[in-house]
Amino acid sequence: MKLSRREFMTLAGGSTVGAVIFTACGVPADELLVEAPLDLPEDLVTGIDSWFATTDDSGLGVIVRVMEGRAKKIAGNPDYPINVGKHAVHSDFALQALYHPDRVEGPMRRRSAGQPLVPISWDEASDLLAQWMTDADGNLAVVTNPIRGGDARIAGDVASAFNGRLMFFDPLEQGVLHQAVKTVFNQNRIPEFDIANAHTVLSFGCDWLGTWLSPVRYSTKYGDFRGGDHRGFMMHAESRMSITAAAADQWLTVKPGYEGDLAISIASVIVKEKLVPDANISAYTANIPQGELDNWAPELVADRIGVSVERINDAARKFAGEGPSIAFGGGSAGAQTNGVFNLTAVYALNILAGTVGKAGGIQFNPAGSQDLPDSATGASFEVWEEELSQWRAGNVKTVILRGADLVHGLPRSVDAGGALDNVDNVVAFTSVLDESSTHANLILPENSYLENWGLDVPEPAPGYEVVGIRQPVVNAPLDGETKARLYDSRNFLDTLIQAAGSRVPVNSVKEFVEDTVADIFSAGRGSVTAGDARLFMNGVLQRGGWWDVNATETTGSPSNISSPIAKAAGPGLSEIEVGVEGHVFTLVPFAHQSLLDGRNASTPWAQATPDPITTVAWSTWAEINFDKAKEMGISEGQWIKVRTTVGEITVQAYPHPGISPDVIAIPIGQGHKEEIGGRYAEDRGENVLNILVDKKESETGALAWAATRAVVSKSGGKKEFPKFEGDAKDIIRPAEHGVPILIVEPGQTAHEAEEHNHELHLRFISNDE
Amino acid sequence: MQQRRILDEFTVNHELLRGNLATPKWWLPTVLGLLVVVLFGFTLMGIMFNRGLGVTGLSRPVYWGLFITTFVFWVGISHAGIMISAILRLTQAEWRRPVTRAAELLTVFSLLTALFFPLIHAGRPWRIFYWITPYDFARGIFPNARSPLVWDPFAIGTYLTGSTLFLYVALLPDLGVLRDRTTGWKRSFYTVASLGWRGNPRQWRLQTVAGILLSALMLPIFVSVHSIVSWDFAVTPAVEGWHSTVFAPYFVVGAVHSGVSAVVTMMALMRWLWGWDNYIRPEHFDALARLLIVVACAWLALTFAELIFGVYSLEAPERALREMQMFEWPWNLLFIIFFLTGFAIPVPLWFFKRVRNNIAMMFWTSILVNIGMWLERFLIIVPGLSRKQPFVFTWDSYQVSPLEWGLLLWSFAWVMMLMLLFSKFFPLIPLFETKESQVFTTDVQIGRVTMPAVIRELD
Amino acid sequence: MVTAAERVSSHKWGMVVDVDRCTGCQACVMACQAENNIPLSTEDIYRQKRTFAWIRVERYWYGDFPDVKARFIPIMCQHCENAPCEPVCPVFATYHNTEGMNVQIYNRCVGTRYCANGCPYNVRFFNYWEPVWPVSLRNQLNPDVTVRSRGIMEKCSFCVQRIRRGVREAARDGHDLQDGDIGTACTDACPTNALVFGDYNDENSRVSIMAKDDRKYTLLDALNTDPNVLYLAQVDATGGAIGGHD
Ligand SMILES: Nc1nc2c(c(=O)[nH]1)N[C@H]1C(S)=C(S)[C@@H](COP(=O)(O)OP(=O)(O)OC[C@H]3O[C@@H](n4cnc5c(=O)[nH]c(N)nc54)[C@H](O)[C@@H]3O)O[C@H]1N2
Ligand SMILES: Nc1nc2c(c(=O)[nH]1)N[C@H]1C(S)=C(S)[C@@H](COP(=O)(O)OP(=O)(O)OC[C@H]3O[C@@H](n4cnc5c(=O)[nH]c(N)nc54)[C@H](O)[C@@H]3O)O[C@H]1N2
Ligand code: SF4
Ligand code: SF4
Ligand code: SF4
Ligand code: SF4
Ligand code: SF4
Repeated sequence: MKLSRREFMTLAGGSTVGAVIFTACGVPADELLVEAPLDLPEDLVTGIDSWFATTDDSGLGVIVRVMEGRAKKIAGNPDYPINVGKHAVHSDFALQALYHPDRVEGPMRRRSAGQPLVPISWDEASDLLAQWMTDADGNLAVVTNPIRGGDARIAGDVASAFNGRLMFFDPLEQGVLHQAVKTVFNQNRIPEFDIANAHTVLSFGCDWLGTWLSPVRYSTKYGDFRGGDHRGFMMHAESRMSITAAAADQWLTVKPGYEGDLAISIASVIVKEKLVPDANISAYTANIPQGELDNWAPELVADRIGVSVERINDAARKFAGEGPSIAFGGGSAGAQTNGVFNLTAVYALNILAGTVGKAGGIQFNPAGSQDLPDSATGASFEVWEEELSQWRAGNVKTVILRGADLVHGLPRSVDAGGALDNVDNVVAFTSVLDESSTHANLILPENSYLENWGLDVPEPAPGYEVVGIRQPVVNAPLDGETKARLYDSRNFLDTLIQAAGSRVPVNSVKEFVEDTVADIFSAGRGSVTAGDARLFMNGVLQRGGWWDVNATETTGSPSNISSPIAKAAGPGLSEIEVGVEGHVFTLVPFAHQSLLDGRNASTPWAQATPDPITTVAWSTWAEINFDKAKEMGISEGQWIKVRTTVGEITVQAYPHPGISPDVIAIPIGQGHKEEIGGRYAEDRGENVLNILVDKKESETGALAWAATRAVVSKSGGKKEFPKFEGDAKDIIRPAEHGVPILIVEPGQTAHEAEEHNHELHLRFISNDE
Repeated sequence: MQQRRILDEFTVNHELLRGNLATPKWWLPTVLGLLVVVLFGFTLMGIMFNRGLGVTGLSRPVYWGLFITTFVFWVGISHAGIMISAILRLTQAEWRRPVTRAAELLTVFSLLTALFFPLIHAGRPWRIFYWITPYDFARGIFPNARSPLVWDPFAIGTYLTGSTLFLYVALLPDLGVLRDRTTGWKRSFYTVASLGWRGNPRQWRLQTVAGILLSALMLPIFVSVHSIVSWDFAVTPAVEGWHSTVFAPYFVVGAVHSGVSAVVTMMALMRWLWGWDNYIRPEHFDALARLLIVVACAWLALTFAELIFGVYSLEAPERALREMQMFEWPWNLLFIIFFLTGFAIPVPLWFFKRVRNNIAMMFWTSILVNIGMWLERFLIIVPGLSRKQPFVFTWDSYQVSPLEWGLLLWSFAWVMMLMLLFSKFFPLIPLFETKESQVFTTDVQIGRVTMPAVIRELD
Repeated sequence: MVTAAERVSSHKWGMVVDVDRCTGCQACVMACQAENNIPLSTEDIYRQKRTFAWIRVERYWYGDFPDVKARFIPIMCQHCENAPCEPVCPVFATYHNTEGMNVQIYNRCVGTRYCANGCPYNVRFFNYWEPVWPVSLRNQLNPDVTVRSRGIMEKCSFCVQRIRRGVREAARDGHDLQDGDIGTACTDACPTNALVFGDYNDENSRVSIMAKDDRKYTLLDALNTDPNVLYLAQVDATGGAIGGHD
């Protein structure tokens, strides 16, 4: 068949028409718009983008990329001393919190119990707030997350203007840590840990690279500790494998509550073997009766604390040998009935190492600039018990909640929800509804920090004075069509100031910030120099704050500090119910790497970020020792019941080898009920905090949140986790030596290690192994 | 055994045109039934276009699954045509004659089916013209000649063109017969289709030469098509179990194994459905079974070689892959089924003459082979992807979705429906070939046995 | 306009990953998500095993309790000089540019997923579904980065938008690019400085210096992909007592 050119054209035309029809039918319109921005200058978006510096909720200095008034990216502020340009996994979540689809849109009021919330205007809402605050003169409680600096000052001023009190709430409060620091060093502020210059780090119970205090700051220092000319040696004692335990060269698998015993046992070896100068030894043993340390000889404690004699001896020799050494602890080590004892024993090790106040050791922080509050921690559980009983008794008229989800964060025994229900007026500032705000009769939408003025004094400070400035960096998000504000939210503090009226000396947070900066300017020192106060303010705003590297702590004479260890105390774990089937574990809750204590739970990014160890996302899991789980017939994804004397939760098991066989660890932050926490958090996972038994730390009355025992048994079938790692076998282990993680010994080159691995492989092939 | 019937031309015409000039009772309901499945399949494709490939069970490491398996399967089946008509024609295997048409048809239709799969499994099927046509759409870039995915459309396109021509050339004399025996619009249709075939010596010579030439031309394609399909996998060094140098011959021999088996299945069906016992004789099954034994053994050797080549390195991922493929649930079950159906059950059976001459046995064993051959492709494609490289962390699995199963079903219904439609309009067994064989064949006495012998075609 | 062929580049971008510093904190993962408009990995996406993470942190276990270690390694596109993903793409949607990068042209991609099979590092991600964000969350999307529709492949771009911006801003302001002027979202975020980005053609850049480290290795060396992402080995100071698996 010969095809003429004309015929060919007809055919070709036909198929083109076919293609067009095909295309027109099947293609979503926006499909055709997608372009590649790779190498085409004309594709670069025009429009001005600016980076603004501010301070985030967690005390990090951040810079925010803003285009057309909208925040696009958050990064660390390179100037800011705390995090020097780096940021945490949760830093970007603020973008989604800002544009969250379930943000509270406007003020809402519940006229009486059981009635639904109805929208009201801001005018009405502020009048009501002012009214309720005035009514409550003398019995007002303002409850927030721990805040410092100007924020704390203003909130405190408002509370005291009505003879009320400002209280801080933190589910995993640091009161025990503060007490231990006070006991050992007589300091009111958490000191700076000079990890970068230390050669040996020994830490206890705190996930300082993940979630504890200032993980970004500690991580930057950890980077230096690993890099540089000298690679430091790190030991970490914790019952579960946190990412800090994973980073350690030596993981000490101490049983919960025995961190103090481990620390003293290490000290006993150092003292016995005289591994450090005599002066350090006598400072350490000053208050300890002669011979008392022998009771902590490794041989005597090893079985009890779960760390072998060799490990204790090794740890002591490393700690004493490779100075400068630093020891610190907190987290689960303090969350015991003997928490202060544990942490005191831990911090006292620095006295033995002789590094207090020295490079590579503990460094004290100066008081906050302008006498601003420089340290904050949640009130102890004991205080909360007392406070809530007042609420329940109807002795408190108005409670103002902000960033403090008491109902989600406190054990069941105190029934925070019931207590709130007995308060006449509960005002909740929030941007997404949380458990406690469902008990409120006035809900006030709160700004994101990106929309706020504020002034922060970071804790822990880096060893010198720092003031972080928060400034509004975005325009209020608008509805695309109506151009109306999507969320009619306000600054929590400005709303309080407005309601307090002339009772407080400030008119707005902005003014307070400006006044404080002007005061700092007149002191004439620090990181910003300028000709006049206005330029100075600009400089401070541009750099996200002000600091003075020379303003260090001078008081206190570390060499005089002697160890306060006098008495020993073992942990007191909770009772267990008799007659319940199952295996007994110590239940150790821990802060989730991205959800933290649950404050990030509403953002989808936080939910979607895989946990570093288990790679699980979007759910609650229970970490259990791999061999123990096998013994109990539990495999990954198995539903298990975790039962304490106060309640029971059903979660899925994730067995792995990085946890003590008698410990079960569950992350906090999930477990929001239906319609709470927004679409991404509601009805998801379980809240382990709710089944904690109300054990208290014996000195401070803090909640001993790691002292609950639980009975664990199988329940129902199993379900696959939404997790990031694949499905190879039970536990993901490398298939080949050196792939993908090549491991070298100190001084060995990568090439040598590869050769070595190759030899192992050859040996494997020839079955020599 | 090798009896043959001497049939007159009238009987041949009458019997072989049964399907065209009369309509068997079962034809319409069957075609309609298949049509329902086919339309259901197209609906599934519509859903997939509309919602995206998310509706499949494909995952992050396992980016290719049932669709590509089925693609390879149908390309494999298509080898029936060349094997039977081209190779056997060139080697002048006389017994091929009644089955050539059906085999070529199977080739054309299975290729048409195979083509669907890579196209619908593209993320943006409406843009495949960028890929399958050497036309630059004013973007300054032609398709990437280094990619086997560009060779695929060329190889299959050539194959499809060649096979269609081949089929058509062989159809011409029969179309002439049909033209002469029909009336009305049918006659007009066959008049056009037969391209003025009058059966004069010149036309016969041209037709024969064209057939032989096309056979010869198709030979390289026979080797190339499935080699190229195998290179889709073999050039990918990242995937253990894919990058094997033995893949080209392995795939080709496997394709012949499945293709010829499919012809056996078809022959049995043709005998049962149209009662062509006089044309499709037990000796045909016998001959094909002997051919299959040879092919299957070669295929087994290559399967074994492929396995040995892989495991020989003792690399961790390769070991893990083989471990999973052969010993881990549910892959071990698939592997056993694959081995039993692809080789261990049918081939030993074929050693028995009673089996070879039993139509039902041949039918079922040939079906078994194709179950095994489909699984073979599945077992090559999926485990390799889910156990890729030593990054154990990313090893993950793939769950075939109902939609994918639906489209697998669609592909069978689609091929069968096309075949049945064809059978309505064209003779499935070539009339002229049958008659020619009557002319060319004679009995010869070898010792005590009487054998049918062939008078060679003259050039 | 300058064509690609004429644009002989003076840059060779690359990254060095010090595995010894990585703590597995996921800051890099999140920063990349936010910067590059990466589709949200919903619970369904997780369950369908189609999780997106242009950079991921793999976790491996070594040994058994109590002598056990969990070790982390961040893995993103290795920007192979000899990239196995490139030759298999039928439409040149993924190709190597003159600056050492493997780039992905979204609007050419027809979605065969062949490149993803070809990539030994499993760092390519396919949009099985149309990515969706609630309207208000779209405010955050980075205007410099295309939102990929369904049906196409995506992967780490070395934050090409930042590179382009950095180069143009330097040209506009009339100064030479300094090491550190351009950071990718992940390197900027990484608190331990486990990730360092830079130009190998600048011999004083941090990456050039780190590339000479004794601990340098590349992933899947034997495949000869010649990656532009280099790794520095993890150090085991406990004397390697804790062995591997098998
Ligand atoms: N000063 C000035 N103003 C002008 C003009 C001018 O010449 N000068 N020209 C006018 C004219 S003619 C026009 S057409 C308009 C054009 O104005 P716009 O329609 O605003 O066009 P672009 O600036 O190209 O921006 C389109 C946006 O779509 C995004 N985008 C790209 N691909 C996709 C996709 O696949 N899906 C989605 N959802 N978004 C995508 C881009 O990132 C970009 O943010 O401007 C008008 N205004
Ligand atoms: N790189 C790149 N290319 C693009 C686009 C892009 O965003 N980037 N956008 C595309 C789009 S959306 C469009 S609409 C086109 C626009 O592309 P063009 O239509 O080319 O638009 P301009 O270049 O803005 O204007 C054309 C000319 O009209 C002249 N002109 C102005 N007023 C008058 C008048 O009254 N009478 C006459 N006779 N001439 C007049 C101007 O001086 C100018 O020289 O570009 C397309 N091409
Ligand atoms: S110049 Fe750019 S925008 Fe214009 S048609 Fe070509 S590719 Fe499209
Ligand atoms: S890492 Fe994978 S995607 Fe990146 S260049 Fe190499 S082969 Fe391609
Ligand atoms: S998925 Fe896209 S980039 Fe990958 S090979 Fe196919 S067309 Fe190329
Ligand atoms: S270089 Fe950019 S695109 Fe690549 S992983 Fe890092 S942040 Fe993501
Ligand atoms: S940000 Fe740095 S330390 Fe954290 S996981 Fe990524 S590479 Fe590792």
